[in-house]
Amino acid sequence: MKQLSGAVHDLASELVSALRGGDHSVAGTTGSLGGDEALTVAAARTLGADVLLPSTLLRRPAPEPDVAVCRAAVHAYPPGPQSSPTVAWSHWAMERALAHVTAVPQHTPSAAGPLGGAATDGPDTPHPAGNGGPDVTALREATWQAFTHQLSVLAALAVPGADSAVAAEAARRPVDVSRGFVRAVRRRDWLQAAGAGRWLAVIDGVPPTLGLDAGLRFVLRMGGADARVALHVHAALLMRADTPYPAAPGRGSGT
Amino acid sequence: MFSAEPTQDLKTLDFDVEEALNPTEAEGTFRDSRECAALLLLAGALLLSPPTPRPKKS
Repeated sequence: MKQLSGAVHDLASELVSALRGGDHSVAGTTGSLGGDEALTVAAARTLGADVLLPSTLLRRPAPEPDVAVCRAAVHAYPPGPQSSPTVAWSHWAMERALAHVTAVPQHTPSAAGPLGGAATDGPDTPHPAGNGGPDVTALREATWQAFTHQLSVLAALAVPGADSAVAAEAARRPVDVSRGFVRAVRRRDWLQAAGAGRWLAVIDGVPPTLGLDAGLRFVLRMGGADARVALHVHAALLMRADTPYPAAPGRGSGT
Repeated sequence: MFSAEPTQDLKTLDFDVEEALNPTEAEGTFRDSRECAALLLLAGALLLSPPTPRPKKS
């Protein structure tokens, strides 16, 4: 597990670098792991759709090694019948992200939003996993604490214009996610705070008194040594800086 | 570059990946600042208090 954590950290660091305008390559991560492709694939499966996040948010072509490792991860770690909903959703999101980067002509500028995910997520985009996705009942019935925890685990689904059932649930409960964000900060659970903060960056109805921008910067300062925390916070800041973008389900109907 | 075929190596990482994708919430404790301040004051008062009188040796 420790070996996998290290690989996840390495890969997440690469992605943070890419989000900040630097270079990024999955091949670099594999190299740092002594050429262990199996470990890189496992790390990619753990990070889920975020492996393709730089190309989604920055509207640039996904490097072929990233697509290849994502494809390998989807194939190698399918959700089983006993898998938890988070595992199933994470897999679903990876398939969606793969469909985006492979369906859209990489060098064709789009007239849609400035952030790529939404722009490519049109009705003509083929979605191998379908639009429904796995069951969301448990999430719907969760208390606000458990809800925030589950959402933070699924933070890779928090992208502009996300049309998953998870995003719809998040959009339905912005105050609960806000409370969960504050709770996570008070518990010094920086990973959960970063994940919740990323969701808050893509939904409407967030109380202005929350001070999300300051909160995100605080989380980055306190927990940014964890590359996964840095990844979520940088994604959130990027998405907040680059609004407006096409509506997510429930966006604009915040309660 | 990356083989899509599941290998034995990938299988052995199955458990770790499953665990990483379905983590339990980390234990956390709230520290109430007022309670902490009260405890600190009490500890300070005990440290600064004069020693208890002892019977003189006669």
